[in-house]
Amino acid sequence: MIIAMAKLRILGPRERLEEVLRVLQDLSLIHLSSPEAAPLARVQLTTAQERERRHLASALDDVERALSALSVSEGSASALTSVTRADLAKWVWLASRLRRETERLAARTTALEEERALIMKYQQFFSAFRALLESETLWPNATAYHVLLRGGDTATIPQLRATLSTAIGEEFQLFSQPLPSGETAVLIVVSAQAAGRVERLLAEARVQEIPVPEAYGGKSLTAAIPRMLERLGEIPREREQIRARLRAQGREHGATLRTARAALNDRLRALDALPLTGVTTRAFVLEGWVPTSSRHRLDSGLGAVFGDDVVVSEVSREEWESEQAPVVLSNPRLLRPFETLVGLMPLPRYGSIDPTPFVAVFFPAFFGLMVGDVGYGVVLAALGLLLHARSRSGTTLRNVSEIIGPCALFSIIAGILFGELFGDLGRRWFGMRPLLFDRADALLPFLLLAVAIGVVHVLLGLILGVVSARRHPRQAMGRGISAVMVVLVIVGLLAAVDVLPRAFFTPAVTALLVAFPVLIVLEGLVAPIELLATLGNILSYARIMALGVASVMMAVVANKMVGAMGSVVVGVVFALLFHLVNFAIVMFSPTIHALRLHYVEFFGKFFSPGGVRYQPFGHWTRVPDRSRPASRNSRQAA
Amino acid sequence: MNIVLTTLAAALAVGVPALATAWAQSRIGPAISASMAEKPELSTTAILLVAIPETMVILGFVVAVVILVRAG
Repeated sequence: MIIAMAKLRILGPRERLEEVLRVLQDLSLIHLSSPEAAPLARVQLTTAQERERRHLASALDDVERALSALSVSEGSASALTSVTRADLAKWVWLASRLRRETERLAARTTALEEERALIMKYQQFFSAFRALLESETLWPNATAYHVLLRGGDTATIPQLRATLSTAIGEEFQLFSQPLPSGETAVLIVVSAQAAGRVERLLAEARVQEIPVPEAYGGKSLTAAIPRMLERLGEIPREREQIRARLRAQGREHGATLRTARAALNDRLRALDALPLTGVTTRAFVLEGWVPTSSRHRLDSGLGAVFGDDVVVSEVSREEWESEQAPVVLSNPRLLRPFETLVGLMPLPRYGSIDPTPFVAVFFPAFFGLMVGDVGYGVVLAALGLLLHARSRSGTTLRNVSEIIGPCALFSIIAGILFGELFGDLGRRWFGMRPLLFDRADALLPFLLLAVAIGVVHVLLGLILGVVSARRHPRQAMGRGISAVMVVLVIVGLLAAVDVLPRAFFTPAVTALLVAFPVLIVLEGLVAPIELLATLGNILSYARIMALGVASVMMAVVANKMVGAMGSVVVGVVFALLFHLVNFAIVMFSPTIHALRLHYVEFFGKFFSPGGVRYQPFGHWTRVPDRSRPASRNSRQAA
Repeated sequence: MNIVLTTLAAALAVGVPALATAWAQSRIGPAISASMAEKPELSTTAILLVAIPETMVILGFVVAVVILVRAG
């Protein structure tokens, strides 16, 4: 559900504004908004505060970069009781120094990587032309050019040879050798007189020449290679030294940097809150929302510090619109993991309906009906338990593991109803019998079950639509009539195919004819189209049957592989692999389609997106939980 | 002859929408992947957009089932 909010107005003497903001930040309860009451001026940051804000933002950037480079972003911060300007200055200096140092070390690491790649390239080149290059001293009046051609570029070699012949006649030798990397090494030896023309030609043809770097001792590759091999041994040692240096810096300064990050964020938040304040010459006015249940904590928190100096009053409900109020979802512990699925959509508006409880019931049910296998359900439960054990409380992974639990339970229940354990294995080995029907044979009953579930789900959506439109009677009545017409269409159809007594047919059609013009009057000409779309939405639930049948068929085919492969061992291996593939499909496809049935078919009937997330003005935390009221934080900011 | 025609009808009922779905998803997939690279928050939209064309093949499958069931 969406918890009730109260809009509060806090009034006090202007000189105590910063003090009040500090207490509010400690309480971490109020979601601040700009006061609308006229004639109030907004607080403007002074030049000094603007400058401070810029410096803090820059320092925070340095801190974040340093934390990221040192890989110490996660972890506890030092205990913080008060922050002085000296602390801030110290942190700014430390962050700046560490950022510069980590950037220098990162640049050095990149340079070492590049040097290693270059040496590897030369090493390949040297291996390809070792004999030739070692006789380099025998042709002192010649210049060697080392060229690497990309894989598949071998057609360039005859062209290169022809171009060189045309340009310098016979004063060159060209050797080529394919490398293990797929590239082709080309060595061109030319007389010293022709070197200038060859260089121009290579540049014009945009051929990638690899000159021997000066760092390795001049132009001769033979002379450079020993030094290069020496460097190849030194590079890993240098990289390890850099890593050790980073680890040491992380150990030494990690906690301080995390503390600095929290303190800098806190101070920035306090500065950002100032322009949300309305002021007169002597007083200030702050406005914001607080969960109704937390109102007394705010009153007592401010009262304990400021007594009668600061007054808190509630703005009456008539003075604000639902759209302005922030939203915080609050559901029982069992349903809370499903807020993750609702959270994939925009937040619902304040005053509308939180769909989490409905998702918590229908999502696992749809998933279970599509999987419908005891064996897959048990494997899924084991996977869920493993994820639960490996995840931390409050993380998305933990929520996913807690969603897997009910999904596995519903899969097992549906598996018992359909008599399936890894397809037809349960029937063949343990004599399992379907309690409801066999999904592989009873296609029509399964289809009717899926569509019937669709009727219930879509009608529930329409009813919720009526409830959520209760403040707009015309819209509510239109949605109500749509729901009634859907029921009438279904009753008429069932009577026409003799599932219901024939006597129902005429009254249902008559009622439809009466309701039709009323619907057009209330909802406009688009209403009949929406009604047809609603009927289409119901048919869309046939996917539960389609995916369910596909799942059981795949499992049956997997089992048949045991007898179809000649060797039993090979058959069992193939069957296991096929079951594994089916399990992967079973995890993915039903999830997507169950989500789609909720987001498109169900939410489309009542869901009002566009809610503002409740973000109480408080202290910074590493993973801010912005969906529920924050607990009291004892840290004091400067 | 009837069996051949019935089977062909069922195959067409599921085959043609399957091709249409595949074509639609082949266009949607790259487009939404490119969008998600710019805006990762579009993941929900991605799920919906990729799943929407599958309705065609699912309804085609249902029609094929109905054809086969009615033909006995």
